[in-house]
Amino acid sequence: MSLATESVTDSSVTRQLLPVAGPGETWRLLWGELRSHRAALVATLVVSVLAASAALVAPWMLGVLVDEVDRAGTGADVWTVVGVLVVSAVAAAVLTGWSAVLLARLGNTVLARLRERVLEKTLRLPTATAERVGSGDLLSRVGDDVSVVSEAVITTGPQVVSSLLTVVLTGAGLFALDWRLGVAGLLAVPGYALSLRWYLPKAAPFYAREREAMAERSHVLVGSLHGVETVRSYRWESTHEELIARRSAAAMDLTVGVFKFFTRFASRNNRAECIGLLAVLVVGFLLVDADAVTVGAVTAAALYFHRLFNPLGALVTVFDDIQSAGASLARLAGVASLPDPVEPADPPAPADTGLTLTGVAHRYDGGPEVLSDVSLSVAPGEHVALVGTSGAGKTTLAGVAAGVIEPVAGSVRLGGVELSTLGDAVVRGRITLLSQEVHVFTGSLADDLRLAAPDADDARLTAALATVSADGWVRALPDGLDTKVGEHAHPLTAAQSQQLALARVVLADPDVVILDEATAEAGSAGARRLEEAAAAATEGRTTIIVAHRLTQAQQADRVVVMEHGRIVEQGSHTALLAAGGRYRQLWDSWTGLTDAGATGGR
Amino acid sequence: MRDDSTTARRPVAALLTGMIWRRRGRLAVSWLLMSLHQACEAAVPVAIGVTIDVAVATGDWTALAWCAAGIIVLFTVLALAWRFGSQQGVIAQQRELHDLRVAVARRALDPRGTDSSLSTGETLTVATSDAEKSSLILRAVSMGIAAVAGIVVSAVTLLLIDVPLGLGVLLGVPLLLGALQLIAPRLSRRSGAAQAATATATGLATDFVTGLRTLRGIGATGRAAERYRRASDDALQVSLRAASVTGVYQAVTTVLGGLFLAAVAGVAGWFALSGRLTVGELITVVGLAQFIAEPMRTLGYCGQIAAVARGSAKRVAELLGTAPLTRDAGERSRQDTTPRLTLTGIGYRGLTEVDVTVAPGESVGVVCHDPADADALLAILSRRVPESDYLGTVTCDDVPAAEIRLAEYRRVVHVEPHDTTLFEGDISENLTAGMPASARAGIEAAVAAAAATDVVASHPDGMNRHISDRGRSLSGGQRQRLGLARALAADPPILVLHDPTTAVDAATEELAAQGLAAFRSAPDRSTLLVTSSPALLGKTDRVIVLESGRVTRTGSHTDLLDSDPAYRKAVLR
Repeated sequence: MSLATESVTDSSVTRQLLPVAGPGETWRLLWGELRSHRAALVATLVVSVLAASAALVAPWMLGVLVDEVDRAGTGADVWTVVGVLVVSAVAAAVLTGWSAVLLARLGNTVLARLRERVLEKTLRLPTATAERVGSGDLLSRVGDDVSVVSEAVITTGPQVVSSLLTVVLTGAGLFALDWRLGVAGLLAVPGYALSLRWYLPKAAPFYAREREAMAERSHVLVGSLHGVETVRSYRWESTHEELIARRSAAAMDLTVGVFKFFTRFASRNNRAECIGLLAVLVVGFLLVDADAVTVGAVTAAALYFHRLFNPLGALVTVFDDIQSAGASLARLAGVASLPDPVEPADPPAPADTGLTLTGVAHRYDGGPEVLSDVSLSVAPGEHVALVGTSGAGKTTLAGVAAGVIEPVAGSVRLGGVELSTLGDAVVRGRITLLSQEVHVFTGSLADDLRLAAPDADDARLTAALATVSADGWVRALPDGLDTKVGEHAHPLTAAQSQQLALARVVLADPDVVILDEATAEAGSAGARRLEEAAAAATEGRTTIIVAHRLTQAQQADRVVVMEHGRIVEQGSHTALLAAGGRYRQLWDSWTGLTDAGATGGR
Repeated sequence: MRDDSTTARRPVAALLTGMIWRRRGRLAVSWLLMSLHQACEAAVPVAIGVTIDVAVATGDWTALAWCAAGIIVLFTVLALAWRFGSQQGVIAQQRELHDLRVAVARRALDPRGTDSSLSTGETLTVATSDAEKSSLILRAVSMGIAAVAGIVVSAVTLLLIDVPLGLGVLLGVPLLLGALQLIAPRLSRRSGAAQAATATATGLATDFVTGLRTLRGIGATGRAAERYRRASDDALQVSLRAASVTGVYQAVTTVLGGLFLAAVAGVAGWFALSGRLTVGELITVVGLAQFIAEPMRTLGYCGQIAAVARGSAKRVAELLGTAPLTRDAGERSRQDTTPRLTLTGIGYRGLTEVDVTVAPGESVGVVCHDPADADALLAILSRRVPESDYLGTVTCDDVPAAEIRLAEYRRVVHVEPHDTTLFEGDISENLTAGMPASARAGIEAAVAAAAATDVVASHPDGMNRHISDRGRSLSGGQRQRLGLARALAADPPILVLHDPTTAVDAATEELAAQGLAAFRSAPDRSTLLVTSSPALLGKTDRVIVLESGRVTRTGSHTDLLDSDPAYRKAVLR
């Protein structure tokens, strides 16, 4: 499926992941983004503080009301209290709504700029880095990490900000009533602190284990259901069912365990609430006894404190979300802070479209040598076919020739100029690589094609499709060029996807084409049509074809036979057949004409 | 459609009530404790009011001590009730969820197949998210019962304090929540749109990263980044519009809540001034007026969860209720002689009167001019089709396949699917799962025969190389060769392969063809190859050609090449 996996290791063994930013770097990046919206940032903070302050008026007024009742005030005093309550309700409403809008605007804007930057950096990663990192890490950054941070910005973030402001300002309100009532309220803080200190260190590994168990459960479920036909033909139904039950039970036990753990945490928070409330009431009792404050002030203080239960509970329970959002943000910041690849300022122009490889050798991450001293010169417009068994190094050689794999030794020149001198942008504009991985991009067919040529009009798209004989089926699609294709849309067959890839080559109009397509699944008739399409798409261009089928070799100007990372034979199809060497053996056995035992053995 | 929903309601109700009934003991404990917890929550503002009334306002030390003790007891009961009540509820829910998930998986993996129209992805959704959502019914019921308890306690307290005031609060709060419900759909519509737009942008990003090699191959990474920037900006605009609605909603919530509080405070204050209420009762009324909105909101939320649970339970019940696709009534065991597979007069989809015989030790190729014929033939051979759906008979050693137990038939006739699926685990586990330990010695030979030695050798872990993500980390050709090795290692008496080398290059295909022929050369091992690969066909004893669903030619590969131009065109590429 990949350029490199035929010979390179795939699993986590040698995976080098993308950088993760440290806390300092993450903050700097975030602050840099926020600073560019300074006015919005200040406005958001001011309005949010005012909103939280306006909400303090109500409990205070209720305290005043209690005092009025206590000293047997008049109906007019009640009316005053009601009037202030109404005004404060309206003010609090306007300010709360406004601050929510401002907060969402700021958060979403910063988020959008961040995700755009991350994707751009990811797409512009040096090829070698991207290949080494593998699609798993890249996908989790632009997919999962962005989703986690978005969720934090949209729901957790505003909740945290408003809870935090409420807690701080309500605390200030307690102090404003009487500093001793404020101190009493603060007695709850050690309780919460102890509770968090007990909870946080245990929580992260606990939740991580639960997530892992859930991932393992869904792995077996996905695997067994996708492979149900295989499961049935091997009669593995009960084995898989047991495995699913085991993984599901393991995940269930962890979920229950994590929840039990969480309930203990919540109990500790209840204890802190109880301590704080008792402290406020007892201190209030003493102060009223000493005539230092009114009963109304104690009422307001107790109501203030009761009002804190929800925001405090929210704050301590979103700690996990904040932690995981922080982790994802650090991963995004790691990508966003990557340096841009350096492009040579004024690269020399290649003299022609010929491609020359000299003394190329390559190995993957200290593994065995997969290419040894390969020299190959392809004249402008010449078609060369690479032939050999899996692991002979064809795909690696194709990658080196296309400039997506940097060989450990040797050089690659386009029209006499080293690829590294030309720079990635120029090389990618002049050399097109069609790898084994055929991807149809989500969106309309025209969108997909215009990735190769953004300015092409419909006529040019249709012409490119006609070149690769795909115009017929495209016209038959429900909406022609505007048909939505890709995931969850109109499915294309493997052969159609490959034709689409060839049409992109025609539109990209490169000097050099490197073709490394997998063999068509469409049977031999379909494969023949694809070969014709490939021939049409590469006509007049310098071309290297990794021949999965020997008819591709038959049609090439020159055939290069590889074994164990070296070139063992080269020449025209007819010359190699006449020479009776390795290629002859392959050809005879491949056509099935000769008994393999006689000629095909190794 | 309408009929569907009426007939489906009973199994849905049965499924949901069954879940509750099975866990009734645990749930009863949970409901009792959760109701107690809500009652305690309602009692907190009451306790504050009472303390201020009897202790703070009077300066009575004994009263203060009693109140403090009461508050400690209240919080202890509150905390313990929630802790153990919610634990029991979660345990019950998780156990039901586990049972449901395993039941769905069992149904989906049934050897007889399922007569369901769901795709694999949809079945997966049923087994994961629908099962999970169905189990939420337990939570909805628990939360609802507790909320009712909270409301009842608050209502009784309010009415005990003052009947007209209590009634006012009890009517006012639902009116208020109802008013908020009027703008709620608009809010959820907008935020739904924002989520969808953001998901679209994220989908585009992952799509571009998935196709990164393709993008880079045509030098289109810059254009892709530009396209994503536009999508991300669109998503931002939708999010900003949703934020405005959120702001309005929060403003309306705040103003309605504030005005209601002002009204209750005004009336209660008036009553307190006139001596109808004590100061403590005033505080309690105001506190409860604020508190009672919470359980009422919870009730509405429970309704939403229950609706979601019902929707998901319908899909779960449908899947669990589907009939098996085929029968497994056969009791007869096959006589354990050398295997002979015979298809006589098969008529199914495009196939018409197809006869195929594979004699013991024979290797037979089948070339289908139309790939659909190959699919039809394989569906019959793997007994994925009910006997009533096709004409003709399949016999194994002269015993009709329908009379042989499914497991026994599949032990003798192994059909390796064309799309190779590998499972999580290392290579050796994948190749040997379900095999007797004694047979595992042949693995290396099977790997070599399938020309897959390099797949194993290229990795430092060799046979212990871990396969993850359904083998996606391997190339198509590597996966295909491991699938072939697995089929060879299983060593069935009759092996049916469907285009086993399409993703393999010509030179490697030749190695695999040789290995396959040698591996299956024993006199009690027969092989049926449905393929158009000349490398494979060249090593068969006999080739059967199917054209327009009928057998048109039979002969050796070389004879057919010489005598049949259509055959030559079909296989020589």
